[in-house]
Amino acid sequence: MSFLQQALAVAAKDLRIELRGRYAAGVVLPFACTQLIAFGLSLGPGRTLLQATAPALLWLAVLFAAVLAFRGAYEAEGEDGALEGLLLASVDKAAVFVGKAAAVVVQLLALEVVVVMLTAVLFGVVSAGGAVGLAAALELVAAMTLGTVGLAALGSLFGVLTEAARAREAVFPLLILPLTTPVLVAGVRATALVQAGHPEDAASWLGLLLVFDVVFLSAGALLFGHLLED
Amino acid sequence: MTIVYKGGAAIRLRGVSRAFDLVPAVRRVDLDVAAGEVVLIRGPNGAGKSTLLRIVATALSPTAGAGQVLGFDLLSERDEIRRRTELVSHRTRLYEDLTALENLRFAAAIHGVDPGRAPDALERVGLAHVARERVRGFSQGMRQRLALARAVLRRPELLLLDEPYAGLDREAQELVDDLVTGARSEGRTVVVVTHGGTRADLASRAVVMRGGRLHSATPAEVALVRRA
Repeated sequence: MSFLQQALAVAAKDLRIELRGRYAAGVVLPFACTQLIAFGLSLGPGRTLLQATAPALLWLAVLFAAVLAFRGAYEAEGEDGALEGLLLASVDKAAVFVGKAAAVVVQLLALEVVVVMLTAVLFGVVSAGGAVGLAAALELVAAMTLGTVGLAALGSLFGVLTEAARAREAVFPLLILPLTTPVLVAGVRATALVQAGHPEDAASWLGLLLVFDVVFLSAGALLFGHLLED
Repeated sequence: MTIVYKGGAAIRLRGVSRAFDLVPAVRRVDLDVAAGEVVLIRGPNGAGKSTLLRIVATALSPTAGAGQVLGFDLLSERDEIRRRTELVSHRTRLYEDLTALENLRFAAAIHGVDPGRAPDALERVGLAHVARERVRGFSQGMRQRLALARAVLRRPELLLLDEPYAGLDREAQELVDDLVTGARSEGRTVVVVTHGGTRADLASRAVVMRGGRLHSATPAEVALVRRA
């Protein structure tokens, strides 16, 4: 089997398990929506403040939801030594990493469609700068996609690292949240520029997201096999 | 036909030790298993048998010592060993939300085996009738059978069985016997680890493990009766 076929087999397996377990739909999505509503309520009815903070709140909701989704991605691997099965398989471990990250990307992008729409409705984002043109929409999609790929790469890499940790529920967010700062900053800035009607100025922030993706996808492909080992 | 490996033996361990948090589980073990042999490792709970088997399977690294498995170095050529070895243990390594067939097909995909062989493997272990049911609803015995189906599917050069009879009914125990007999007749190597009650007549040799060390088995230890 080629590298791509191996990665697809892992991604398909993870997505099938997710579809049946409905962890993303049943836990992660309600969590993200609840966060957004809580943020909105805590900021009060002032429309200007809501619109100004919307990009940051959107990305925070995505980030915290992503942390939950990463845990879900490794939940099944912890059952009955399945992770050891991946270790002992002759499959390319980089393909396992790419497959797991790809499955998380698909889940998070589906979740983000709902979260972005909810943010637009709750905080009036779409009407803020009149930035509803094709270029703005494409920039927003690019920012969300690049940010999601970076988060998924980071989460898949550190998910395996913390799988064996006794206090993994606490260790995992502590490890990855500081590392997601570049995604958070670049994502928020790019989204804010799109919202303000200046999508053309977001290119440098998209570039930063792309660099983050390349760094963590490369690190994951190189290190994942070593992290799986005893 | 018996395969000849580099170094002569299917398994060759020298001074292999393993400790967990400084507590030794396996102590300076030397072991030679010839290609095509069926070796039984007996011993009480906590003797280090499973740890030793997991070292041979490359699931664990030794903290000291060296070895070759199927002619490949235990530390530097792990991928080559994994390609040719299957470990069956009480940890079945199954995904609960996948069906029996999906589990086997995924195993085939990550081991580079034709997934089309999965239905036959399920038939062989008597699980064809639940092929499309999720593993979550399976009993421990059915899970063990499915783990055995993975070994049937892969037909590895080296089969490592850790307490293979535990939790199995008589029919499933015979499946294990068939698996061992089939492997032996094809010149493949098998190591069976058990704390007791295993068919000694299936093995070409038995050794005993106590306190992390290997000893030659006494005649009384070899002359085991089949489990009830």
